[in-house]
Amino acid sequence: MSEQIREQELPGIGRRYSVRADGGELSIVIHHSGRRDVYLSDGTGRSAPAVATLSDDQARRLGAVMAGAYFQPTLTRQIEAVVGGLLIDWVTMAPGSPGAGRSIAELEVRRRTRMTIVAILRGDDAIVTPEPTEVLQPGDRVVVVGRPENLDGFVRHVSG
Amino acid sequence: MTGAGPLGLLAATGGETGRKLVALGAALLVAGILARAGRRIGLPTIPLFMAAGILAGPHTPGPVLVRDPADLGLLTTLGLILLLFHLGLEFSLDDLLAGGRGLLAAGAVYLAVNLSTGLATGSVIGWGGKETLVIAGIVGISSSAIVTKLLVELRRLANPETGLLLGIVVVEDVFLAIYLALLQPVLGGAEGTAGTVTSVLKGVAFLLLLVAIARWGRRPVGRLLNTGDDELLTVCFVGAAILVAGVAANVGVSDAIGAFLAGQVVAGTEVAHRVQRLVLPLRDLFAATFFFAFGLSVDPGALTSVAGPVLLAVTVTTMACLVAGVVAARIQRLGAAAAANIGLTILARGEFSLILASLAVAAGLDGRIGPFTAGYVLVLAIAGPLAASRSHVVARYMPRQLFPTPALS
Repeated sequence: MSEQIREQELPGIGRRYSVRADGGELSIVIHHSGRRDVYLSDGTGRSAPAVATLSDDQARRLGAVMAGAYFQPTLTRQIEAVVGGLLIDWVTMAPGSPGAGRSIAELEVRRRTRMTIVAILRGDDAIVTPEPTEVLQPGDRVVVVGRPENLDGFVRHVSG
Repeated sequence: MTGAGPLGLLAATGGETGRKLVALGAALLVAGILARAGRRIGLPTIPLFMAAGILAGPHTPGPVLVRDPADLGLLTTLGLILLLFHLGLEFSLDDLLAGGRGLLAAGAVYLAVNLSTGLATGSVIGWGGKETLVIAGIVGISSSAIVTKLLVELRRLANPETGLLLGIVVVEDVFLAIYLALLQPVLGGAEGTAGTVTSVLKGVAFLLLLVAIARWGRRPVGRLLNTGDDELLTVCFVGAAILVAGVAANVGVSDAIGAFLAGQVVAGTEVAHRVQRLVLPLRDLFAATFFFAFGLSVDPGALTSVAGPVLLAVTVTTMACLVAGVVAARIQRLGAAAAANIGLTILARGEFSLILASLAVAAGLDGRIGPFTAGYVLVLAIAGPLAASRSHVVARYMPRQLFPTPALS
């Protein structure tokens, strides 16, 4: 499935992008008018393909959905970035997490895990550089910075 | 005014302008309704616009909506200009060259087969030398409008042969441009030789100038046309297309090739994509008027008198297209299904045949070319798409030994 997306000009119609997917040949035709046709065929042209037609607007939204703009499929570790050997990650607190209901100071996060909590996302709020007295709650998304090898210890100690 | 019924009454009371407006409005409405009915059974619009013209014209019984095709005069010319302007706009030499040698070979085979059989057909019909030359073009060049629409509607855009098929259409378009450039001096070349030579040179110089602007003049032209406003852009590009077409006609090459090259010039600028979108409704409207007006000039009585030549041309074209389809499929190692799809899709004839016929008739060639082309296009623009939608039946009867390699994608 590591195959590249193939591109072909369809003069007078638009452009076609094809990829061999699990289950058949998937082709997206982008018309000059903005219309999109999505073909699912066996790739030989011998049997009739399944075709769906989308408007320009629908296609853009669907494209954003497929790119993961609205929903990320991974569960606990949503963003993970390593910058110059430093890890920035994000864990979600569950009701049964060891750290739920306790403050950052109580947990002695820095001393015991060598990681630093830089922000807490709670509902629509973003608490940036929280005070040590801040109490972690179930549902909080906790953004931490530290060395990658210390992440597992942090997860065991705080989010479980 | 002798027109019967309510339309005649309208025509009688409205004065000259009113009469022309009623003619135009009724023409478009009848053409649109007929084409809409045809759409339900999968027929393309071009033959039905023309059929509406035949039915509404002075040669058939029933109400006569337009007595004189000249009432639609300038509008039909605009249709021809916008059809070719759009073709020039869409056409890209780079895409063609990117398609590789296989595509060029397939296109060359298609043209060689269809033009040589076209010339043979023309000389068998025997209306004269110039007529033979025009008939070769009429029967040789497919309708890119019908082919394109057909591929979308038959849901064949993802098929392996579709790129090749559209490539052949592009090769045909290149040929059409060259053919149009060469045709006009031949058609008009009846006067003294010295005058002809200078007029041909003038025409060639003008065409070369346009090609040079298309190649190197994109920036100034783009700056001239480019405004953020769709309204102003539309006014400017339509003006440019008509102006270039008019100058082309004045220097003795056809307005058609002028419009094509105007489209090529705009295609290189940064506004190309917006113009592609804006020109469509205009092209559709005026092209419908052009096809309708062509129908008006056709007398069904004359249609029956050219039935023999039409039948011959239809048979020869069908054979030639199937042969070209098989050869093209073999070049790309495709199987019988692809060969039948290519041959039967590319069989559709339409706008270019009608444009060539109208140029020929306007130049004073044998008048039978008009009804001949009308009959030929009516048959192939209707039978072609119907056959293409059932191409699997034809594929079944193609001899297996034509396709030695197994048909892998």
